[in-house]
Amino acid sequence: MHQNVDLVIDGSKISGRRGETVLDAALRYGICIPHLCHMPTLTDIGACRLCIVDHIKNGRSKVTTSCTLLVQEGMVIDANSERVRGLRRNIAELLVTQAPNSRAIQDIALRCGVTEPRYEFRSDDCVLCGRCVRACKEHYQAHAIGFVGRGQERHVEYPFREKPESCIMCRACVTLCPMSITPCDGPMKSGEGYFCGKCASLTQAPQYEAGDCTRCDLGEGFDCSGHL
Amino acid sequence: MPKIASFAELKAFGEQITADRDNEAILMTVCGGPGCQATRCHEVAAELRKELDSTSLNGKARLRVTGCHGFCEQGPIVVIDPSNIFYGQVKPADVKEIVDRTVRKGEVVERLLYVDPSTGKTVLTESEIPFYKAQTPTLLSQNRRVDPWSMEDYLAIGGYAALARVLAEIDPEKVISRIEASGLRGRGGGGFPTAAKWAACRAAHGEEKYVICNADEGDPGAFMDRGVLEGNPHSVLEGMIIGAWAIGANEGYIYVRNEYPMAVEHAKQAINQAREYGFLGEDILGSGMSFDIQVARGGGAFVCGESTALMASLEGKVGEPRPKDVHTVEHGLWNRPTTLNNVETWANVPAIINNGAAWFAGMGTDNSKGTKILALTGEVKNTGLVEVAFGTPIRTVVEEIGGGGRNGRAVKAVQTGGPSGGCLPESMFDLPVDFDVLWEKGSMIGSGGLVVMDENTCMVDIAKYFLKFLQDESCGKCVPCRIGVDRLLEIVTDITEGRGRPEQIELLKELGETVAQTALCGLGKTAPNPVLSTLRYFAEEYEAHINENRCPAGVCTELVEYSIDARTCNGCGACLKACPYAAIQGRKDKLHTIDLELCTKCGICLTTCNDNAVVVQ
Repeated sequence: MHQNVDLVIDGSKISGRRGETVLDAALRYGICIPHLCHMPTLTDIGACRLCIVDHIKNGRSKVTTSCTLLVQEGMVIDANSERVRGLRRNIAELLVTQAPNSRAIQDIALRCGVTEPRYEFRSDDCVLCGRCVRACKEHYQAHAIGFVGRGQERHVEYPFREKPESCIMCRACVTLCPMSITPCDGPMKSGEGYFCGKCASLTQAPQYEAGDCTRCDLGEGFDCSGHL
Repeated sequence: MPKIASFAELKAFGEQITADRDNEAILMTVCGGPGCQATRCHEVAAELRKELDSTSLNGKARLRVTGCHGFCEQGPIVVIDPSNIFYGQVKPADVKEIVDRTVRKGEVVERLLYVDPSTGKTVLTESEIPFYKAQTPTLLSQNRRVDPWSMEDYLAIGGYAALARVLAEIDPEKVISRIEASGLRGRGGGGFPTAAKWAACRAAHGEEKYVICNADEGDPGAFMDRGVLEGNPHSVLEGMIIGAWAIGANEGYIYVRNEYPMAVEHAKQAINQAREYGFLGEDILGSGMSFDIQVARGGGAFVCGESTALMASLEGKVGEPRPKDVHTVEHGLWNRPTTLNNVETWANVPAIINNGAAWFAGMGTDNSKGTKILALTGEVKNTGLVEVAFGTPIRTVVEEIGGGGRNGRAVKAVQTGGPSGGCLPESMFDLPVDFDVLWEKGSMIGSGGLVVMDENTCMVDIAKYFLKFLQDESCGKCVPCRIGVDRLLEIVTDITEGRGRPEQIELLKELGETVAQTALCGLGKTAPNPVLSTLRYFAEEYEAHINENRCPAGVCTELVEYSIDARTCNGCGACLKACPYAAIQGRKDKLHTIDLELCTKCGICLTTCNDNAVVVQ
């Protein structure tokens, strides 16, 4: 059985490894698809929806997350069509207004083209990307934290609100949190929030062109360009 | 109880039951559906039972308590056969008269007959009632003919004959091709072709395969699945066994929400009966097929009606959807090939086998075949469950079956398909009930909810209601649904409370589109439908709220003011006494006024005033 499959992303023909996701394949080739909840070696859950792409099949295109889409022979993916960029910008706008204190999320929002968010800022900090929960469960088998509650009440919590013995204080949860990756020191008290855009300096990316990874610092902590 | 071992035995047994029953003279059918239970039909049934037991009628007349007949508005309902006399809104005190006059003497109790509100004429028999006349009864009509606790009743109407035929003479592939020829599409909301699902599941690799019946019905105001599962559980079981034969499954689950205790109970006892009779278990009807069904109860989370969330919940995990890039027909329950269909879909299967695919395909439109049960609710005269052939115009459902607006008010719109569906204006009522047509118009059939709205309904408020429901019921896993729907609700709330800005309309559209395109599961993808469809067809109501600070229907309390019309007020003082906030002043026989500083717009004066002098603007 062939281990490799050929697929086309943004017009570039690339070779994917059978069983890997479109996002992983794209990142290996330096095609930057913004992402937040994806972490290499962790199970992808498709929660943040930033890594959406257009999957073009039989003349019809379907928007889906590239982190949960496995590569297939002859697949055609458009990761940066106008439609996808617009949708991604709107998602990033939702994220950055929910957790404006996170420099990582600010970076992503700027990168996705959000300049003036249209919603009031909330200082929720946690965007439920689940990196901490999955790392705790999958890397350390500690199961010390998990999601509790549904919908608006969903949050990350110890089982029964008490730190279990299985927590070995490895701090992987803290290290992986988008809040702790270069946290923003802006004045994010309720009502004082604004989107300063200073982190734009980190994202001096020219207009995106197919197959052209800008090696921006955006991927720091996300392992985006780490593969290159 | 005899275990039935072959097709021939089943046939003989069915004929025996029918023969035994021919000499029964009178059959009294009491609807025991949820609507009638709410109006205390069980007391009527108990009284009837007592009356029959205490008189010499025992043996000459029989009582049958069935599942939902559909005409909830008239509950409790008693139908007396063979003359088919229909008595509505029967009280326990009426029972003696019914037995004395109708059962003994064959007379009619006039005052209990149905009066057609549009003509004012009394209607004698059930079949002449306009509510039933315009329907195409196939599934729902069986409810009237079986006691859900009685296997004999189900066998008497030809139950399990389809299963016996399939096992004896139809190959699994041929079963699938018959379902394909019938054009059956999933009744749960997606409208996916059932045969394609079965064929993919049959072709999927794996020794163990599962079939699941989705009875986790959570739409506000909808109870189609409940009506079928409570009223005729064996039809669902029979469909599931046939489906299991077709795809090669040995285990099945009925996932039913715990808020439907009667459905849980009826499904469980039907499964036990089916095991006793040999329709479930090892070597069913001598075919060598082994299959069993279990009931799993859901905790009432709306999102668990989504297939992947339902399977997660069945596995004992948190009921959250997962991405469907790999389909559940290949990797479903416990990662094995799984076919999940809705209650109504399963119940259609035996009917298709019995009557033929051509019969089924003969009903409906090009792409939507058969019939659909709709839960008709809201501001309409006749509420209840109705079953119509696909292609029936919405107008027929609302006006002929539903009898038009309540209290003579004009109907403004219908909301179809539950919280994920959309609102269609009265001008589009000539559209047929059809999967694709409604989808194109920004709404959907969904599982079959149909809420009628009249001129007193504010469409922005309706959008807010459904967004609130979906915000509550979102699992919170993905960003567009959790934050996006919350932001939609925030904006719509701003609009209903007078803080709306004109540019928010575009933002609603853009955000709604984003959520619809990018959310993880069906719940999120359809969540913006109520707001998008009302924006599409009732934009003027949004504009009135934003630009003129006015709620045309007088619903949004922040935008209305109460006042008393000086010409109509007769100074009776009723409103003054009723107002809990002492906001109304006035002396007896003099004009009363409302102090707007104190008024909380609770609406009590409005309902108290007999002369309609309280004005809301």
